[in-house]
Amino acid sequence: MLEQFQADFVLNFIKDDRWRYLTNGLQTTLIVTLCSALLGVILGFVTAIIRNTYENTGKFKIANAICNLYLTVIRGTPVVVQLMIIYFVIFASVRIDKTLTAIIAFGINSGAYQAEIFRSGIQSVPRGQFEAGRSLGFSYGQTMIYIIMPQAFRVCVPTLCNEYITLLKETSVAGYIALEDLTKGGDIIRSRTYSAFMPLIAVALIYLVMVLALTKLVSLLERRLSRGAR
Amino acid sequence: MEQDNRSRETEQDVLIRVSHLEKHFGDQVVLNDISTDIRKGEVVCVVGPSGSGKSTFLRCLILLEQPTGGHIYMDGIDVCDRKIDIDKHREKMGMVFQQFNLFPHMTILKNLTLAPMKLQHQPQAEAEAYARELLKRVGLEDRASSYPSELSGGQQQRIAIVRALCMKPEVMLFDEPTSALDPEMVGEVLNVMKDLAADKMTMVVVTHEMGFAREVASRVMFLDGGDFVEEGAPDEFFNHPKSERLKNFLGKVL
Repeated sequence: MLEQFQADFVLNFIKDDRWRYLTNGLQTTLIVTLCSALLGVILGFVTAIIRNTYENTGKFKIANAICNLYLTVIRGTPVVVQLMIIYFVIFASVRIDKTLTAIIAFGINSGAYQAEIFRSGIQSVPRGQFEAGRSLGFSYGQTMIYIIMPQAFRVCVPTLCNEYITLLKETSVAGYIALEDLTKGGDIIRSRTYSAFMPLIAVALIYLVMVLALTKLVSLLERRLSRGAR
Repeated sequence: MEQDNRSRETEQDVLIRVSHLEKHFGDQVVLNDISTDIRKGEVVCVVGPSGSGKSTFLRCLILLEQPTGGHIYMDGIDVCDRKIDIDKHREKMGMVFQQFNLFPHMTILKNLTLAPMKLQHQPQAEAEAYARELLKRVGLEDRASSYPSELSGGQQQRIAIVRALCMKPEVMLFDEPTSALDPEMVGEVLNVMKDLAADKMTMVVVTHEMGFAREVASRVMFLDGGDFVEEGAPDEFFNHPKSERLKNFLGKVL
């Protein structure tokens, strides 16, 4: 039995350097996750600020409408469909790097979810904090930057990190546009060797390890941030 | 001519002139035609039943609520004019809230120096020295590096008063500063306020502490249902109320 296992291992990972499918795929997955998380932060943050400012002051009326449309459309449709639309429809006539396409698609998608996380974070800060800032003479923007954001950020961190963990796993559908990410890498091995167990379990384990590491990181960060709160 | 002179004299004394102030939320009238002058060094206590509009009156003065009618002049400038810089106006006023509203993510010292450093561009050393001096005055100099959550309610409120004072305001507004405190902590906060009054700080205090009003106020205003019903020096106000509504109110609270 051990011999069988060994043979399987060699077949799936060692022969023809097949492990490279996994490492290259992992690299792609990490790049896509990281870059789209970053793009999502920017989109989400800007969206949250616009929506919040509109609610508080009535400014940015048109921008607010655009943001609402963005949130409705992105959160109302599956990410795979968005990915395929961006690759096969929007960039149909342009030759564009698949990794970049994936980053754009997942970034836009994640931005919508992160926007809501930021916004609920901002709203979780008691109104009195805002009034205290304004009464000292801070402008709306200064109050947001010095007083509201730092507190909102602290509330957001756990939810935000869950979003990143979800995003990491969600990028596994990038195979739909034939991007060779980690999942696709495992799948290629499977299609070469006709043995499904090893490559797929290996892929699952790699995801699991990354998620566990991220979760650990979050709890450390949370502990650091909880200083002085409440 | 004589009339003109006299009004000019009092004009210099007046810090805040409230003229026909009105505020309504939708159909609900919260403040109905309030006019009064707040002079330099005066301690004005505003009393009245809950929902009488006294907090709203205070919040209008610092424009946390936008008045729907009338004018508020500070140093002769109409602050209801949308063209003026509201933030500059607010810098001249200190506000103390019922719920303290200290910034929980900053140390006490940072709470006190943030606004002076960012808004008045005071050097850190100068801002901190002044903050520590005021902390000493309220007996909390050893809590400079604590976080607000580590302090009792009374201590937090004293810090909140100091935070407002660090901006060297011309007038201090208090919105029921002792209402959220445990009874044994009310005294320490009132003592700080009495100190301030003795220093000739101009103060507008919304309060339920009739003892404080009687002892410290130079003038007591009575609001009821959004109407400015009656005002007077404490002795006159409490011992010889004129209107039925005030008599009724005092009968309940004294």
